[in-house]
Amino acid sequence: MFDIQLPAFLEPFINIFRSAPLVIQLAMIFIVVAAGGTLLAYFSILRNRYRGNRRDKRLAKLLPKIDNLIIDEVLTHPEADTVPADQVVLNLDAFQELPLDKKWARAALTERIIHFRRNVRGNMGLLLRSLYMQLELDKDAMKKMKAGHWEKKVQALIEFTSMDMSVADVTILPLTNSRNRELRAAARHAYIKLSKNEPFKFFDVVTEPLLMWDQVELLRIISTTEDIAIPNFARWVTYSSNKSVVSFCLKLIVHYNQLPAVPAVIKLLDTKDHYLRADAINCLGKLRVPDVEDKLVSIYSTQPLHCQIEILKALGRISSGRHIEFLKLEFLHSTDFDLRKSAAKSLVRNDWIAKQVIEELMATATPENLRILKHCMNPLIKY
Amino acid sequence: MFIHIVYGTNAATMSKILLVEDDEIMPKIVARILPSSEYELDHVSNGKEAFEKLESTQYGYDLIITDIMMPYANGFEILSKVKSQPRPIPVIIVSNAGNEDMVMEGFKLGADDFLKKPIIPAELMIRVKRLLMKNK
Repeated sequence: MFDIQLPAFLEPFINIFRSAPLVIQLAMIFIVVAAGGTLLAYFSILRNRYRGNRRDKRLAKLLPKIDNLIIDEVLTHPEADTVPADQVVLNLDAFQELPLDKKWARAALTERIIHFRRNVRGNMGLLLRSLYMQLELDKDAMKKMKAGHWEKKVQALIEFTSMDMSVADVTILPLTNSRNRELRAAARHAYIKLSKNEPFKFFDVVTEPLLMWDQVELLRIISTTEDIAIPNFARWVTYSSNKSVVSFCLKLIVHYNQLPAVPAVIKLLDTKDHYLRADAINCLGKLRVPDVEDKLVSIYSTQPLHCQIEILKALGRISSGRHIEFLKLEFLHSTDFDLRKSAAKSLVRNDWIAKQVIEELMATATPENLRILKHCMNPLIKY
Repeated sequence: MFIHIVYGTNAATMSKILLVEDDEIMPKIVARILPSSEYELDHVSNGKEAFEKLESTQYGYDLIITDIMMPYANGFEILSKVKSQPRPIPVIIVSNAGNEDMVMEGFKLGADDFLKKPIIPAELMIRVKRLLMKNK
């Protein structure tokens, strides 16, 4: 069918292969494939190292030039400290000595400007942003946003966030729901930082659960972003169908001490999801809402264990002193260790009124209960 | 590796400042902020080098500006060592770590000031001047 002309030097090898038994033929094929694969891998590693080495050498020459230019033309600009950044005329010609027609050089300059901005803010920070804009480095970031690869998009989002660039909500919002975890996190970060009107709008469109780590990151971003409009999180507690968003909003309500959200949180006590109910009880306890104590005590006996623990903790946090007898009974008669410990801790938190009860319990408690009480009374032990 | 940046002419009246910072950009920025005619700036890039520099100069600095998170020894270790000397040197912490615990820990160990990165250049300069004046 096909008449393939092989080079003459391969002729003896082909003959050996043809005359060999099938097992040996298979072994020979395997050896050739393995050796070929290994050679390819080595070649690829060498090629990457060579490229990396060339890039490092180029950057080693370029970065000091970039640093000097930024320091000379931006940081030591005579008007840097006195004139508003948008009125300062930067000497862009000096930057033309850099090979800005090359993509890698523009990337290096962008990275360096971002690095400088991580160290300075105020007028100098604004001047660095102005330099970035005037050199049209933002166009590269826009191209990266349109790229198909998620890593490029993440790079662009980080760039936009670092340079405080305004980006249309419709560009970022769909990415806040991306299936890629890193892209999702970067988009949420960027959205909160850059969306001036409704930085929390993505809560409305979130379909994936907010993982615990996402929540930690989001709380850090929200609490460290300046000039952010904090909404009433009761809105999502009431309407969101995403349980993780509701749970996260409960934490935000506590963080921002949003007392107007209390009615929405109290309504959540009727939810069928006992994990959310536990979060709501935790929230009410941390907000120290005394009006809710009676309701918590009344539902106590019908709750699962972790909700009961949260109720006991909430009574300790609210510390109104109205349910000392209830806490005492739970401490003495509960069969679960965690319940007894939480009751004891809450009694200690109520010690402004329960001092006599605690002394009485210390005098009459069983050895195990005494240990629990002493543990809870030790101010150095937090849990 | 020590980088010794000496500017100006009158070394006797210049304030000696040790900058402990592992970021490569920050020393350039600090060198720009603090006028070379008034400040003699030494830079080291980790805690170990800071200790060596302090030992070799017999703690002969008027002020230390340090980051917190660095290799070998962190800013808190430098701070506690400096503050245990007979003549404690004023220390300004300049760090990305702005959480409450870190700030409190710094002040508990005797830090004289705390600046969160990114810094406002004029603010750093004023705080440096204030501390130097206070300790003259």
